[in-house]
Amino acid sequence: MGTAPAQLFPEFIVDTLGLDSVIGEVAASLVAAFVVGNIILAFTGVAGPWAKRKITAAFTDRIAVDRIGPYGLLIIPAAAVQLLAKELIIPEGVDRPSWDIAPILLPSSALLGFSVIPMGQLGPINLHLADPEVGFALVFAFASIASVSLVMAGYASNNKYSLLGGLRAVAQNLAYEIPLIVTAMSVVVFSGTLQMSGIVGAQTETLVTIAGVSIPSWYALVNPFAFVLFLTANMAEIGRNPFDIPEAPTEIVGGYQTEYSSAYFVLFYLGEFVHIFLGGAILAVTFLGGASGPGPESISFIWFVVKIWGFFLFTQWARAALPRVRIDQLIEIGWKGMLVLSFANLVLTAVIVGVIA
Amino acid sequence: MSLERPDSVDDAAVERTPDEIEALLGDLVVDRDDHLNAPGFVIRPDTVQETLRTLKEQAGYDHLSVVSAQEYENRYESIYHLKKYDDPTQEVSIVVPADKDHPVSESAEPVFRTADWHEREAYDLIGIEYDDHPDLRRILLPETWQGHPLSMDYDKDRPQIATLPAHANPLEEHHKDAESDTMFLNIGPHHPATHGVLHLKTVLDGEQVADVEPDIGYLHRSEEQMAQSGTYRHQIMPYPDRWDYISAGLLNEWAYARAAEDLADIEVPEYAQVIRTMGAEMCRIAAHMLALATFALDINGDFTATFMYAINDRERVQNLLEDLTGQRLMFNYFRLGGVVWDLPEPREEFFSKTRDFLDQLPESVEEYHNLITSNEVFQMRTIDTGILPPEVAKNYGATGPVARGSGVDYDLRRDDPYGYYDELDWDVVTEDGGDNFSRLLVRMREVEESAKIIEQCVDLLEDWPEDERNIQANVPRTLRPDDDTEIYRAVEGAKGELGIYIRADGTDKPARFKIRSPCFSNLQTLPEMANGEYIPDVIAALGSLDVVLGEVDR
Repeated sequence: MGTAPAQLFPEFIVDTLGLDSVIGEVAASLVAAFVVGNIILAFTGVAGPWAKRKITAAFTDRIAVDRIGPYGLLIIPAAAVQLLAKELIIPEGVDRPSWDIAPILLPSSALLGFSVIPMGQLGPINLHLADPEVGFALVFAFASIASVSLVMAGYASNNKYSLLGGLRAVAQNLAYEIPLIVTAMSVVVFSGTLQMSGIVGAQTETLVTIAGVSIPSWYALVNPFAFVLFLTANMAEIGRNPFDIPEAPTEIVGGYQTEYSSAYFVLFYLGEFVHIFLGGAILAVTFLGGASGPGPESISFIWFVVKIWGFFLFTQWARAALPRVRIDQLIEIGWKGMLVLSFANLVLTAVIVGVIA
Repeated sequence: MSLERPDSVDDAAVERTPDEIEALLGDLVVDRDDHLNAPGFVIRPDTVQETLRTLKEQAGYDHLSVVSAQEYENRYESIYHLKKYDDPTQEVSIVVPADKDHPVSESAEPVFRTADWHEREAYDLIGIEYDDHPDLRRILLPETWQGHPLSMDYDKDRPQIATLPAHANPLEEHHKDAESDTMFLNIGPHHPATHGVLHLKTVLDGEQVADVEPDIGYLHRSEEQMAQSGTYRHQIMPYPDRWDYISAGLLNEWAYARAAEDLADIEVPEYAQVIRTMGAEMCRIAAHMLALATFALDINGDFTATFMYAINDRERVQNLLEDLTGQRLMFNYFRLGGVVWDLPEPREEFFSKTRDFLDQLPESVEEYHNLITSNEVFQMRTIDTGILPPEVAKNYGATGPVARGSGVDYDLRRDDPYGYYDELDWDVVTEDGGDNFSRLLVRMREVEESAKIIEQCVDLLEDWPEDERNIQANVPRTLRPDDDTEIYRAVEGAKGELGIYIRADGTDKPARFKIRSPCFSNLQTLPEMANGEYIPDVIAALGSLDVVLGEVDR
């Protein structure tokens, strides 16, 4: 560990296949993006129709899908066929084309976020598409596009429940995006860079050595307070219990997605799951040392998968156990609590780093 | 034991003889028409408010239990069944005849808020009009309905044709209002949190509720009319299971059994009473478990573990009920004069199963406390939301856990004893908060009290001598209570005071069968709890009322 960052995935393709023309580079980038995108979509495919059901069932003393295939795994293609075969109902008076754009925007914005996430190595391949100097800022920018999609869906649906859901989504994202980013900034103060590889690299140094085992300086261990703050804000960002307020099926019947069916419904769900995985990825990169873990560098992708699925499990656990807060309470927690705490954390971090360094 | 209200002056507690009440009412009384359960005073239709106000303020009759209405050959009649929250055995009936051709009677709504819905129902089904009523519309049937189904000249073959304009969205004009910036929102009749087909006409100011009006009747199944066309002995008992169908079957059956047994003067053997008490409390546990489960669903969202845990516990008690009655939902286990059969053989196995259930119950309740009531977010959501002050609760005729959650110490099992309750050692649970949290807490604590009752019943049944196990009294094959006898009797159902009014006309079928549904009165309090709160609080308040639409609409 601690070696220089390996070649990025598109460059690896270019070098391996010897494509040094511009067209070759573009093609290599597209292929690389295709591979990474499909990995994430495959996660979502497993998570949505199968893992989520199994996990929720485990929490609630049930069995869930077990009829088709081993452990019910074939429910995944079955659910895909079933969902896509449904009629796409377009209600009267919806505001097109924004009604059609919203379900496409949500998953694409979340997928876009993965373009700068270092997902670790799998053999000789470093699953990292791009590593711009402002990668860290970029990933939050991409993730925030999701709110636009929710507002579009809520407003264009011409449904009062959807409208309420859209409004709630805006209020919630405003209240939580700021503490989220301010907390993330405290990490930048530590690492001194906005580059993803830099932030991950800074966490590979040894924090302490206990009984011969060296503990890396993951920021979750260096600053657990910031980690908890970030985790909470992240739950609100991805809209999961106790912050699933924009959907709140028992109050506003699914909020912005009330009027969507068939493929559009699938796209929304896809978007939400990709967003959860993106939330997990950001958390991993920012606080859990990216893809690093014990064992050889060449299998570090496995550690990355473990971390984002761990986060997914955490969201499902929260879903089974925690009550939903009310929208006014959420805004109060966001503006009066989290914002103050995140700024305090930032200032404190800056002072500590300034004094020590 | 009972919570004294500041304004419940000495007068209220004093029990008055019928003659004293007559003296108090003076000229208002034009005749006497005593019922089996209470003295009845006939008054003129334009003195309803004066009479009820006198009784409420000067004699302490602060609980308008139910308004039952009917049509006779020569007149219409509304009966106001009054009780006291402090002592429901003190009852009085105010009989208000109305003209056959122009049935108009003064509304009691200004004195008792609860009369609002009860009189609307009387108007809807019988056709009596109430003067001074704030909002006399049909309540159970659609507004386009022709005729009043329980009146004598109702033509049931007349086609009910609702023209297209009547089907047009009646709310359209309310959608946009240039003057205000409120939004009209239909919650239900199909909505995840209405627990059945309930429609809430909600006016929102942002996320806050400016006004909410429950619209009921989607599940109206003519239960009263069906009971009126069945014979007392066997044909009515299956229906009560279908009122509050959320496993409260035996409690409902007891309401009919109690009224009919008192009407026909049937003595129930002690052994059968113990079995009834045990079965009824099992039903109460099952009903409260479901209330807890769905309330968690409303607050936590639809993937909460609490829901399945509570359903699991309900399943255990449901299995016991299945062993006892042979049915899982529509028990049909009570008979007039007892129960249909004895405990299942081998008895020891049933007792040990019951004890196993009772043994693990405290652990489950503890788990629910860990999962929800001690969770800070849950407390944040439920404490001090949906507040129902005790005075308001009484004014609306709220009973059961809803009233007890507001500190109104009213439980018919103790206050108007029936069955075997007064021989057993248990407590009435009250909470003073009056909020969503208190109502949930009352139910959770009542589950423990019910478990105490069941345990004592099991002890009694285990030691019952074999030759004294008499499960049914000798009841004539056909029951024909005397002509013109009337009775109103109530039991403590899962949701509160479940009462039955029966008028006999000398035949083997009731001439009038009126169901006093606790959910009907409890649901009427929703606007009091919800106005000014946020949408999620309306959902929580509705969940904490624990209404079953089958019982609301009947």
